[in-house]
Amino acid sequence: MLVSEQIPKEDLDYILEPFKEDKEEDNKQIISEKIIAVVRDAKGNIIDKREQKMKSLTEYYLALMSIPILATYSNPTSNTATSILVNVLGLSSQQYSSDGNSSFITFDTSIQVGSGTQSFSLTLNSLGAPISNGSGIGELIYYSQSVLYTSNSVSQILTVSNNSGNTITVSEIGLMGTIYIAYGNSSGNYTTQPYNFLLSYDTFSSPISIPNGGSASFQIIITFSG
Amino acid sequence: MMIGSKVDFDINDLYIPKDVKEDIDYQKSFSATLTIIVRDKDGNVIKRYKQKSHSPTANFIGLMIPLTWYVNTGNSWTFKNTSNSTFSYESSIAMPGFGMGYPCSGSNHNDYIVNILVGSGSQSNPYSAYNLNAPISNGSGTGQLLYSSISTPTSITINGSQAYFIISQSYANQSGGTITISEVGIITYLNFTSTTNTTTTPGNTLMWYDVLSSPISVGNGQSVVIYYTFSVNA
Repeated sequence: MLVSEQIPKEDLDYILEPFKEDKEEDNKQIISEKIIAVVRDAKGNIIDKREQKMKSLTEYYLALMSIPILATYSNPTSNTATSILVNVLGLSSQQYSSDGNSSFITFDTSIQVGSGTQSFSLTLNSLGAPISNGSGIGELIYYSQSVLYTSNSVSQILTVSNNSGNTITVSEIGLMGTIYIAYGNSSGNYTTQPYNFLLSYDTFSSPISIPNGGSASFQIIITFSG
Repeated sequence: MMIGSKVDFDINDLYIPKDVKEDIDYQKSFSATLTIIVRDKDGNVIKRYKQKSHSPTANFIGLMIPLTWYVNTGNSWTFKNTSNSTFSYESSIAMPGFGMGYPCSGSNHNDYIVNILVGSGSQSNPYSAYNLNAPISNGSGTGQLLYSSISTPTSITINGSQAYFIISQSYANQSGGTITISEVGIITYLNFTSTTNTTTTPGNTLMWYDVLSSPISVGNGQSVVIYYTFSVNA
């Protein structure tokens, strides 16, 4: 099978050449991403609101997007996974299924917030200083996350509260992805093998302070053109 | 819980402040490009064309919705294959679960990219498109193009601040006349399964669709190659 490395150089140079002019219709985004944060004090009053564009998708998001396009099998007759799933995401080329039944793949997402900052790279795989779940020093209580879908937009929502005794500062936010491969295991039961990735990473233009007793909601909205 | 009700209010789009200045210089973090190169019978390039690609279909979006939405809402997504047949899909990991078939040592339910389908028509609503308006079939008869095998990437390439992968396909015109390509789409064969082999098979499904800003003419004896480039930019 032909692969990208075999693309003629003159074609590849042209493919990667930047557009010389941007027509108005060309500026329509395929995917637009937005982050919203709302902070409340202990009495429930809103004390801070943010809305900013999300700018930093990792190569793992691109790999996730390859699944609807390339699917999971490398070709119609080979029972091996696509090269991107194996080489970029580190998934098994072929999942062992002890019961002879089938295996499938699905994925989920979640928001994580942190108190660090770091330079973005396409292969970044964690926040600089993730804030863990709890009510101890430097911790936030993470509530169950929800996902909404309306009008081509997928919204991931995280709510946290601060019972740590001190103000917590949130300076970074990431969308985490988990790919699950489900299969029959050696005990004769079904199980899932999770693979975790950082799909996006952004820092807030200025850090967000959540006072003790306060709460915050963070929302990442990904809108697909259509 | 108070927090929950507050959040419901906070996420109401009408409530979200709209005074944030649009960043018109914003670098798109994701982009897709459609590149077409036509060659004569000797392999010489006679036309190069490139446009920004815009259009995931509803089928594509359904596979980009995370598990939590399916689990919490109990909703399903309706996929429509190229024959306009519909298939309900609800992702789950509550065993026996349900998702896209994955290569395994047991029973396999292959899903895979089929081709970059080209056509001579157009349609205005790519979101709801389930097939090309006027697909050009594979062959050397009148109005046909000879499709080569689809080419798929071995990995994601990182080049400076850009990560990308490319899929491509070439086509030869031995029809005896000129063929005009005006629409392009990516066809993927979908096959959903549980771990106990309960399957739903939409089969050939349109995942991505573009109408060319300028139709491309491929003369008899000429060939054309189409490249889709998907990228994210740091």
